[in-house]
Amino acid sequence: MDSSSSEESASDRENSSGEVPESNSKSLFSEGEKVLAYHGPRIYEAKVQKAEFRKNEYRYFVHYLGWNKNWDEWVGMDRLMKHTKENVLKKQALNKKVGVDKNTKSGRSAQAKSKSPADAKVAKEEMKNNDAKVTKEEMKNNVAKGKKRRADSGIEDNPVEEKLINIQIPSTLRQRLVDDWEFITQQNKLIKLPRSPTVDGILNKYLEYWSKKDGLMTDAVGEILKGLRYYFDKALPGLLLYKTERQQYNEAISDNVSPSSIYGAEHLLRLFVKLPELLEYVKIEEETLIRLQQNLLDFLKFLQDNEGTFFLDAYDDHLVTEESG
Amino acid sequence: MGQMTNAKEKKEEKSEVELELKLLEALEIYPPAKLRGIHRHFVLYGLTEYMCRSFNRPFSADDVLKLLDRFYNLEMVKPDDEDGEILNQEEDFRLPKSYFLEEEL
Repeated sequence: MDSSSSEESASDRENSSGEVPESNSKSLFSEGEKVLAYHGPRIYEAKVQKAEFRKNEYRYFVHYLGWNKNWDEWVGMDRLMKHTKENVLKKQALNKKVGVDKNTKSGRSAQAKSKSPADAKVAKEEMKNNDAKVTKEEMKNNVAKGKKRRADSGIEDNPVEEKLINIQIPSTLRQRLVDDWEFITQQNKLIKLPRSPTVDGILNKYLEYWSKKDGLMTDAVGEILKGLRYYFDKALPGLLLYKTERQQYNEAISDNVSPSSIYGAEHLLRLFVKLPELLEYVKIEEETLIRLQQNLLDFLKFLQDNEGTFFLDAYDDHLVTEESG
Repeated sequence: MGQMTNAKEKKEEKSEVELELKLLEALEIYPPAKLRGIHRHFVLYGLTEYMCRSFNRPFSADDVLKLLDRFYNLEMVKPDDEDGEILNQEEDFRLPKSYFLEEEL
């Protein structure tokens, strides 16, 4: 009967799509195959390490050639292309086009080694917008440009602007950061919270100071300060705390309380250490970046000029099971 | 009352159009999605600077947002996914080695 034959084929179809791991559809890419993979806005050379059929589709674990294996990841077919001449041209064209953005962490050191999975993930995010690898540990501001690019597949032919923002922290503040490290990690001390002035307070003072100095750029500076505050509030728990400070953080910051209203200069300064890294995710024109850099340097100078009132000279001993104030 | 000078109207219209075009041009570098992520203020800063430079006159961030409002309901724009991710992991702060290597002040 007609119906029975159609029934048969229906159930056949059912079987093949639902149950068989190595499905009827053949995998487009094979293990060990060299491919081209999208990552963020760019295309990179990669190699398929593993292929798996999961939930009705093929997934590929790829390794990006020339890149630390911490970047290896599972991707779907939509991210991959065959390594043909045509596709390579496509890659070059796209990378050139996207390459206008100033973010190529090419400046970073060649050791793109991530010490922890967390590092790898964050660095990976950066890679999404940039070409070269990032080593957060080596996040020196005065970093040589171009080193990383050579270690990259080498096929990058676009003269990408490598404008890693350089935020030179003044030496007395650098010393403060070292002292801060010493107090917290070596002497097991903590900064007493809440601070005064708070990050909010400091940023406001700066805006006041600026508007008296130069009425013109106040709006622009205001926006930058808002950006700093926003970063601070979002990044504090994720990026700016030493391990031993976490408990204190949990006790001090509840839902409605913003870190910028509790923490002070010491932690704000740590933000500046991370700032170039954060800003790398943002595409900004070179000219604007230079301006931004000048503004940030001016802010640091302001911190330095007010070191006495903004920073603590002594931290508190860490009290076990201390309930915050 | 059609007695407003047509020339003036046209001129104003033209400059409005110019503003809008410049803005749309700028959005290629500073897309709306980025204006919703954690970098929003810096993106807005960049956008504002772009407009200032293009017209050689001051623009405030608010000016730019108002202009943008003609094209996008920013609140409905989905933030760029990647932006949030840097903060998704909790990582201990580490002071780069370079801070320790330099000479004492």
